[in-house]
Amino acid sequence: MTGTAPTVFIVDDDASVRRSLTRVVSAAGYRVHVFASAQEFLAREPSTGPCCLVLDVRMPGLNGLDLQKALADAHHRAAIVFITGHGDVATGVEAMKAGAVDFLTKPFAGKDLLDAIQRALDRDTRALDTEARVDEILQRVKRLTPRETEVFALVVTGMLNKQIAAAIGVGEGTVKVHRARVMAKMHAASLAELVRLADAVGVIVPRT
Amino acid sequence: MGLTPYVIAAMLLILVETAVVVWLLLHRAAGRRAQRVLEDRLLFETLLAELSAKLIHVEAGGIDAALESALRRMVDFLGMDRGNLDEYMDDAPGIRVSCARPGIVELPSILAAEQFPWTADTLRRGGVVRFCRSTDLPEQASTDRASYDRVGTRSHLSIPLRAGGPMLGVLSFDAVHGEHAWPDELVERLQLLSEAFASALERKRMELSLAQRLHEAGRLRQELTHIGRVSALGELTASLAHELNQPLTAILNNAEVAQKLLDAEAPNIVELREIMKDIVADETRAADVIRRVRVLVKKGELEHSPLDINGVVGEVAQLVKSDMASRHVPMSLELASGLPRVRGDRVQLQQVVLNVVLNGIEAMREANGRDPALAIRTFAAGAQSVTVAVEDAGPGIDLRDVERIFEPLYTTKREGLGMGLAIARTIIQAHGGQLRASNNAAGGATFEFTLPAAGNPRP
Repeated sequence: MTGTAPTVFIVDDDASVRRSLTRVVSAAGYRVHVFASAQEFLAREPSTGPCCLVLDVRMPGLNGLDLQKALADAHHRAAIVFITGHGDVATGVEAMKAGAVDFLTKPFAGKDLLDAIQRALDRDTRALDTEARVDEILQRVKRLTPRETEVFALVVTGMLNKQIAAAIGVGEGTVKVHRARVMAKMHAASLAELVRLADAVGVIVPRT
Repeated sequence: MGLTPYVIAAMLLILVETAVVVWLLLHRAAGRRAQRVLEDRLLFETLLAELSAKLIHVEAGGIDAALESALRRMVDFLGMDRGNLDEYMDDAPGIRVSCARPGIVELPSILAAEQFPWTADTLRRGGVVRFCRSTDLPEQASTDRASYDRVGTRSHLSIPLRAGGPMLGVLSFDAVHGEHAWPDELVERLQLLSEAFASALERKRMELSLAQRLHEAGRLRQELTHIGRVSALGELTASLAHELNQPLTAILNNAEVAQKLLDAEAPNIVELREIMKDIVADETRAADVIRRVRVLVKKGELEHSPLDINGVVGEVAQLVKSDMASRHVPMSLELASGLPRVRGDRVQLQQVVLNVVLNGIEAMREANGRDPALAIRTFAAGAQSVTVAVEDAGPGIDLRDVERIFEPLYTTKREGLGMGLAIARTIIQAHGGQLRASNNAAGGATFEFTLPAAGNPRP
């Protein structure tokens, strides 16, 4: 097992469905973790690699939609493929609106499930990349001094050095020094790149 | 003149003697003829009396046979070649009893065939149609005459059958091989007999319609309970689809994996065997769901057999299990062991349990501050009966509704037919039991029914 093999979590209260889906998904080369209930899933160790969730809608206790909401409330990234024994339109719409990748009605063929899982993993991988990138940028931002952070926030709004100097009450020369340090610490080669970085992590400091 | 008074006297005597002998001879012949006529008459009257009595006293089931036998004996007695008894309901032909000698063609239905317009008209007006030869028929009966000739009728008699109301049928006799006269006296006697025929026909009709009505009522009752079951199942559709789709999903996916495994260079037999085992288990599971539904949907004759009430309750619990789970209603089963069997119809009793359980779930649809829960319990009620109780945690029953909830078409639900509990109570009563409702001390309502143990006479 390589640590990078994507993981598929299967949550279904039906033992025989769990077993058969595990077979299909394992045969396709994914790592599979199965859970008999939403509570069991929530109690697991959080995953770091790419993963997705195959989730039964109708379960005793916390149902699939409840779990989806709980994950969203906890700001967990979750690429969810819903599976349901009885697909009613309202539930499907609700699930998709809340960001589900797919909504499969039982009985479905293994291929449909694997296609949906692939889409979910792609989405999770992208989300994971973004997360990693944002993380890295935030690390850089953390290395800025308070004054540099202030200059950073004002520079990306398109203000000139002179205006920034006036705004924070220092000399234009000082602003120039801070600005060069921000560019260096943020690994930005141009103003345009700095703006993109700021945009990615959403650093917006309100004007004082 | 050589005639002496003696000779005259002798001649007179001879004359008188001759006359007496002749008279006596004549009288004897007449007597014999009269006797034969009398004997014939007696036979005929006896036959009429016998047939009339038979037709009037025969049981409903034997009317057809009695009509046929009576007709045959009349045809034989009268020396006819063909006899028909046609029933008409508003001119539409009903049953036909016919009797003919071999090789004689059948007579078309007089009222329905439109080949005998004059005859039909006469009969409808209550008249008897008789002729010795078809040429005896009046001018305006030319169509009839041609028709009678076509079917070989030489002499014919038809009598309308009435029993005080509209015409019920026609009794007719035909001579084909010879001619037959229809003296008034004979026709009168036959008219008397025809009344016995008519009353038999009428009785048959009445009993038929009574039987039909009884059957209809029975059918309606069955239909109603069937509708009750089907509509109860309708409420469960989503759950049943779920129940069925679970094993189907497993089967489908297992089969796909098995196929892939088989394509491998060295198939993993152990894994394949596991998969096959799972597939078979899921197929059994799917078949069980279908069987449970089919049993409830099927229209059938009632069966009364000794039943394990726990089995009846358990089957229903299986049916509603997933519905309860999806509504977040925990269900508990407390089934007493060693209960006596009850006598009844499995499907109907399941329907009662299903209705009562669905009723309980429905009662907890809206939050009322208590945690929803449904308990189904079975227990012995004395040594001679068994009780099934379904306890919910709903709002309970409004005291004003407590008796009305069992009335047909009474409902407090938004989407209820109001038939569930009415049908349930009817079924339980038909099983010699009672269905009751009460409120629990801790809130919620309990519906319970008690059934006599099998082998006990109904109270």
